[in-house]
Parts: sequence; structure tokens; C-alpha cells
Amino acid sequence: MAARAIWKGNLQLGKQELAVKLYSAIEDRTVRFHLLHAKDRAPVEQHIVRKDTGKDVSRDDMRKAFSLDRTTAVILEPDDLEKLVPPESRDIEICRFVAPSVLGDQWYDRPYYLGPDADDSDYFALAEALHSKKVVGVARWVMRKKRYVGALSSIDGYLMLSTLRRADQVLSFSGIEPAKANEPAASELKLAQQLVSSIETDFDPSTWQNEYRERLHKLIEAKARGEKLEPVRRKKKAPSASLAESLRASIAAVKEKKVA
Amino acid sequence: MPKQKHNGGAQETIDTVGAPVRSMWSGTITFGLVSIPVDLMSAVRPRQTAMKLVDKAGHALGREYHCSKEDKELNKSELVRGYQTDEGKMVVITDEEFESVAPEMSGDIELRGFVPLEQIPAMYFQKPYFLAPSGKTAKAYNLLATTMEKTGRVGIGSFVMRGHEYLVAIIADNGVLRADTLRYADEIRTPESIGLPKPKKAAAGKVRHFTQAIEDLKQTKLDLSELEDKDAQALLELAQAKQKKDEDVIHQRGLEEAVDEAAEGSAKIIDLMAVLRKSLAKNAVVTSAGAGEPISLAERRAQKSKAAKRKKPAKRRAKAARGS
Repeated sequence: MAARAIWKGNLQLGKQELAVKLYSAIEDRTVRFHLLHAKDRAPVEQHIVRKDTGKDVSRDDMRKAFSLDRTTAVILEPDDLEKLVPPESRDIEICRFVAPSVLGDQWYDRPYYLGPDADDSDYFALAEALHSKKVVGVARWVMRKKRYVGALSSIDGYLMLSTLRRADQVLSFSGIEPAKANEPAASELKLAQQLVSSIETDFDPSTWQNEYRERLHKLIEAKARGEKLEPVRRKKKAPSASLAESLRASIAAVKEKKVA
Repeated sequence: MPKQKHNGGAQETIDTVGAPVRSMWSGTITFGLVSIPVDLMSAVRPRQTAMKLVDKAGHALGREYHCSKEDKELNKSELVRGYQTDEGKMVVITDEEFESVAPEMSGDIELRGFVPLEQIPAMYFQKPYFLAPSGKTAKAYNLLATTMEKTGRVGIGSFVMRGHEYLVAIIADNGVLRADTLRYADEIRTPESIGLPKPKKAAAGKVRHFTQAIEDLKQTKLDLSELEDKDAQALLELAQAKQKKDEDVIHQRGLEEAVDEAAEGSAKIIDLMAVLRKSLAKNAVVTSAGAGEPISLAERRAQKSKAAKRKKPAKRRAKAARGS
């Protein structure tokens, strides 16, 4: 079943232009629940009330306030909010291209596939050029009255545009030098590296299933049929031992598994 | 004041007063039979665009749950969650039943495989969290971090938090462990499922045009002004302008308790830098990318090995800092 495009835009790379359509690359699989009143199982309604009096406030009387400090805020009237809407545009401006390693994974937010809007030979030409130059583009655009920043990349011959977090959201560290007493010993490091290499593998997302979601669906189906489901049993914890002992025991356990 | 001291050690933090983030979960990373107790905290700050709901006169507003039959206010203990089946039947799932679904998963992140970081496509990454050691000693924590940095591998595992199972990549980043949640394969669409045309060979001339355009715009670094939050800036400017004119300004106690216009959950706000200084390293500094050049993992590794070759005079400074 083909998906519907959520938006149309024009990629602007210097003098080159390309009309594209945006498609969400994500399929939401969240199991959603309704909030109910435990006693009578009636659905719950949300009321917005004044904190001090508990009185209901109608939608027309609600305003948004922006906090300037702990006690001061400014109310933004509907026409103020209107002023904040960025000018409409179909342009997706590519500001620069950088090596993929320059943008750490903490920046990445929501991925979208781009599809060709008009000329698909131009589309695949850009995907090929991005692939061979091994770069991602830093993009800016306005979509549905909001500003976005993003990364343009190619994957398996297709174009992808992921939204990115903003600069002040992404945190990083420096000055991490553990205390001497907490530094692992060389022998422990060696054992740990052995353990890592013993369960080293390639990233294959298809081997990871959301077991919790599957069990939740089973539970719901069973209850819908009026059955009870046996609770899953808790695993026993391994006894605590020294770091080196635990590492040796772990390596032995992996070896045993491989032989078996 | 210089933004960064030339010796590169005790950096001034500009944008990091406290670095308040949300603490979400406490549990244990298990790595073979080794257990590492950790606290999980958001590694991204919310955008500075959040607003509070008030009425026209500026009174703080709050959210209440009411029963649709009885029209009375309900507190949290009176609520249950129901799932509506395709046939329209409502199935109630109790808290105990939610717990019973996966009891062994709720306290542990079991690392079940180690993979090269570069093998994970960017579209799999969902949200990054920092892990701070919470046990008596950070030794096992440091062991895992050092081992992963040395081997260039990241650990893959899963855990349950607030009724969701998360697939995570545990990544060692400059001595700190991060748990980046990943999407499951069935949450990612494919070009075929979207209905995109099959890739075809592009004309060499067109590829050349785009390659040239890429060359023209190619840079080695990011320009963070391109990644700024322009919406947040516009909002702040407008609010400040109104304050100057004394227009619609409200001074009120209790406003901080007003419901967020877009609620982000109610996790405890903690000071990330303080937590890390206490549990990991006394000189830990947290900066947002907006406050300075962000450095990628690879670049940092390169810098680290360079720094290791030099002899570092960090000790004395650390003592001085402790004394003051």
C-alpha cells in the first residue's frame, strides 16, 4: 500500500533545484490506551481549570504565557502568535555539505523519505552524487508554519531528509577523567575486550523484536477472550563476585553456548 | 573573559548553568555477568519554546481528569488504562498486568551484542540519554566505557521504561556512557512500502551537475548558526519587547506549576553536571552544542590520543578546584 506524501518542497542546492515529496519514514507501532475511571470504566474527560478556584476555563479564555523568569511571564495574544509564524515557502535550503561523522547521532530526530515530485532522473542523480561524495547536507525549511533544520542524505539509492535537534538542545561533555581508584586494571580490560569480541556481531535490526509489545498484544487478546495469562517468571540474578571473576565466568558462559 | 582557556582543561561553561535535565529511570546494565547500576537522564534539553497555559487575566491553569458519567474529579489512583479492540470491546489492563508482561526487563539493560557504531543508520536513532553510574563505585562503568571506546563497538540491548520497550545502543562517548534509543525494524518504512519508484541509473551529466553543486557547498565543519532555534529566538524577542512596553506582563506565584502547553512528562528535573561530578569525575563539564563547537566522537578520539601523548597537568588544577 503506497503511503501519502505529507508535504511538497523544492530542494535548493546552490543553482540546482529539485522538486520532492516528503514521506514519513516511521510507522508508529505504539500500543495506545484510553484512560478510564476504574469504578465504572467510563472514559475520562480532561478539564482545563483555574488552579486556585478549580473552575473550568473555556477554550476561548485560554492563553499561552511565555516565562521570562521564575515569577514573570508575558501573555501572548492570538495576534502575537500570528506574528511568530514564519513566512510560507516551499524551499528546502541546503546550507552546506559535511562528512556524516560531523553530525553525531544525538542530532537526529525524525526521518523522512524524499520521493521525486516531477523528474525522477534528477532525483536519482542527486542520490547518486550524495552517495559518491559521502556527505550529508544541512537543510533549513518551513513546513506547516514551523521552522525545521535537517540533514539530507542518501540511503540505498534514495534521498532522506531527517529533522535535526537545535544547537542548544544537544549536550556534550568534557573533563571526564575517572579517579585512579576507579580505573580498570589492565587484566580486567583484557578480559572485557575478550568478552566484547565473543559477542561481537553485525547490526541487523531484524533480529531485534519488541517482545514487550508482542506480550502486551497477547495479554490483551487473552483478556478479550476472557482468559487469564500466566505471568512471566522473573529471572534469577547472578551472584555478585569480583569484576575479574564475573568477566571470566561470562566468557566461559559464551563459549559454552557456542559449543552447545 | 576568554571563552576557553588555552590549556584546554578547566573550560568556562557559558550555556550550562546547572544543565538541568530530566531523570527518567534507574536500573542496571548487564554485560555478561557484570552488573553496572546506572541512572538514566535525558541527553537533550527541551526546546526553549515551551509555554504555560493561563486564562485571559493570567491565572495559572491546570489539568483535571473527570469521569464522563459522574462528572467528578478523579485522582490518579482512580484511573485505569483500557485498550479498544477492533471489535469495539474495551479491555482493561491493570498496573499489575502491565508489570507482569515483562518483569525481568524493567530493571535491566542486558547487552546482548556489540556492533560497530557506523553500521547503525541514522534513521534508527530516536533519543539519546546519558547514563550516570549510581553504584558504590564507577569501576565497572569505566571498564565498559573504556572497552567500547578501545574496540569502537557499541552494545545493543533493550529495556522497559514507562510501559514501553526500548531498543538501545549503549555508546561510550568521551568517558560517559550514553543510551541512545533505536527504532525497531518494523517501525521503519521501506521505499517499497511507501511506493517510491525503483532506483534507476541517472544520466552522467546530471550526476555531474549535482556533484558540482555539492563541491561548491562542501565544508569541513558545521556552522551552528544554521542550526539555531529561530522559533525560540523570535518568541523570546517578542516576549521581551512586550515586557518592555509592560504589555500583558503577569507576576504571579504558582505559575511554574501551571500545566505546560505541550506537556513533556513529569520526570524529576536534575542537575546533570552535579550528578556526573559526584558519580564520575570531579571536573566534568557539560556544554550544549549551541555554546561551543560540538565535537564528533571520531574527532574526540583523535584529540584524546593526541592528548594522551602529551603529559597532562590536570591533577593540580583538579586539586585547586576542590579546595576553592
